[in-house]
Amino acid sequence: MTDIRWGYALNQWKPQFDDFVRREQHERALKTVSIAGFEGVELTAGTGRWEPLGNPQQLIANFGSLTGFREFLSGCGIAAVSSWFYDPQQRSMEHLTPPYSPLVAADVTGIVTRAEWFAGALAQLGGSVLVVRAAPSAGDVGPLDDAALRRLADCWTAVGRATLAHGVRTALHVDFLSSLRRPGALDRLLGLADPAAVGLAVDTAELTVAGLDPVEVIRRHRGRVWHVQYKDALAADTDEEYLQPHAEYSVRQRGGSREIPRWFAEPGAHGGLVDFAAVTRALLDIGYAGWVVFESDQSPHPATSALLGGYLLQRDLRPVTAAAVEAAAR
Amino acid sequence: MTADQLAQRSETPERRIKWSYMDHWRSNGPAGPVDQWHSHRTMSSFLKQIKAVGFDAIDTFDFRLWQMYGDYGGPAKYQEMVQDHGLERIVNIFHAADYDLRNYAPHVPETHENILEDFRVTMGHWSSVELDNIIVMPATLYYDMEPVTEDKLKISAELWNKVGEITAGYGVKLTCHHEFFCGIQSEPDIEVFYSYTDPRYVSLFIDTAQHCIASVDPVALYRRHAHRVSGFHFKDTRNVAAGDDHRHRPDSEIMAPTTGKWFYEMGTPHGLVDFEAMMTAVRDNDYRGWISVEHDKANKDGGDYAESTAIARWYAVNVLEKIYR
Repeated sequence: MTDIRWGYALNQWKPQFDDFVRREQHERALKTVSIAGFEGVELTAGTGRWEPLGNPQQLIANFGSLTGFREFLSGCGIAAVSSWFYDPQQRSMEHLTPPYSPLVAADVTGIVTRAEWFAGALAQLGGSVLVVRAAPSAGDVGPLDDAALRRLADCWTAVGRATLAHGVRTALHVDFLSSLRRPGALDRLLGLADPAAVGLAVDTAELTVAGLDPVEVIRRHRGRVWHVQYKDALAADTDEEYLQPHAEYSVRQRGGSREIPRWFAEPGAHGGLVDFAAVTRALLDIGYAGWVVFESDQSPHPATSALLGGYLLQRDLRPVTAAAVEAAAR
Repeated sequence: MTADQLAQRSETPERRIKWSYMDHWRSNGPAGPVDQWHSHRTMSSFLKQIKAVGFDAIDTFDFRLWQMYGDYGGPAKYQEMVQDHGLERIVNIFHAADYDLRNYAPHVPETHENILEDFRVTMGHWSSVELDNIIVMPATLYYDMEPVTEDKLKISAELWNKVGEITAGYGVKLTCHHEFFCGIQSEPDIEVFYSYTDPRYVSLFIDTAQHCIASVDPVALYRRHAHRVSGFHFKDTRNVAAGDDHRHRPDSEIMAPTTGKWFYEMGTPHGLVDFEAMMTAVRDNDYRGWISVEHDKANKDGGDYAESTAIARWYAVNVLEKIYR
């Protein structure tokens, strides 16, 4: 056995705020994930009554308690919530708070409080990682100089220390709109943050779209890789369009000047740019222990994406991990 | 599902039941909905999904033969692709004939030679692969056979005895699948029909939903005929046929005014089939072999084949295999 556990992110089932709100939809998605060979699910933070899986308050409102939600998961064949993705720039209807920025010192207390809220719930749901959006989009905040990186590091160190009190690690998620993709930026941020409190979430597709090799990132930051998301990339941002203002809409959603219809897809998708066998070998090489969460972000066909991911896992990746175990035993 | 559970799922030695998927399928292509036969890529995607949820094999329609020859090099070559995706083989084929009183009607003796010749040719085409069953609807549409008399049932049985002898020559069982809209669908007519058939040559294929829709208890039917049951379609329904549903012209299966969608995947809410009782009966009769899962028309009313297939397989693993596996 390796120390890797396999999960699936539910975000592909909720492309719009009014999707994926009913219990029977959750049940069918969870059973699909389970039978495809995954034991955990990753949640994405959301707010308001149409986000029943979006935060602890909504889970309690819909399932009676966190224990009730855990039992619902178990009844569908899912052992745990592996992780929760949290973007502090999302406002909270539950708390009547505006978007926070990890670059603004005055926002840190609010971010820490919110992170603890998620971490406390995660601990009850069997999870171990709070995945946080490490930095706002480059086009909205400009280059990250040393002072900015220091502010980010201080924020996430405070968050990481707070979540560790709940037994939950904090892992920085670098997306392709972030200035952290620039040479040296991620190295510097990780160097400034407390290594005991802050790790890295490797998202294979975001890094690939950003022009970074996930295998190289894993090898360079061995010891800091605390979470992994397996997602395929169908195109790369070769023109650095991420630097445009409001790239969230013009580039990520609309596809930029090339009108890329779909940046991301389930691992192993036709035309995908990520070599998942190589990434898996790299994780085994560094002795990675933790969750690997399959993700598609969005999908025109969520159940199909989950099953194709399951096929890749069972037929191609589990043999890679099994071979590593055998080699270690010899 | 943990690694240990997955490993257990793939261990076959002590399993008495293997699971096959009857290959109804639709997905969304760039130009609109397509079936898996659209291209080799869509076929690969289909097979990957079937394998991913733990099916052991597939069933298919025999009319796919021509595309297998044209696009894959024949049934054996197509089966190689199936096997390349980790599936065992093609287990059953469904013989979807065009029933017509003029040339293809089991209760009309004048059409029998045409039907027999059809099977001589068909079995030859499929001889390159190992099959367990060739499945037939044993009668015309209900309205083409009514009134259903004992004489018509006897004539039909005599035809299928001869067909079964042909298929047996190829090592394949001829097995009858009683659609709720075919001429032999009520419990008394099914009983009379089998009383005239030769168990050596004619088997029964239990489709849980079709019998349920026709107000026949599939569990009781199976228990009575277990010794000659050669396979199953495990699928669910939420409706029993009412009034003239079974004899609606021109079609009952997708055009009956009362019901827009007859079939659902096993494990659906509000399903009428008692699958736990069915699996218990399968266990009690020490059945060993294949159970096929089917949910044709799963995409109607906003449904999704991939999801239905996952739900059905989840139900098999988490509910039925706890009874018998």
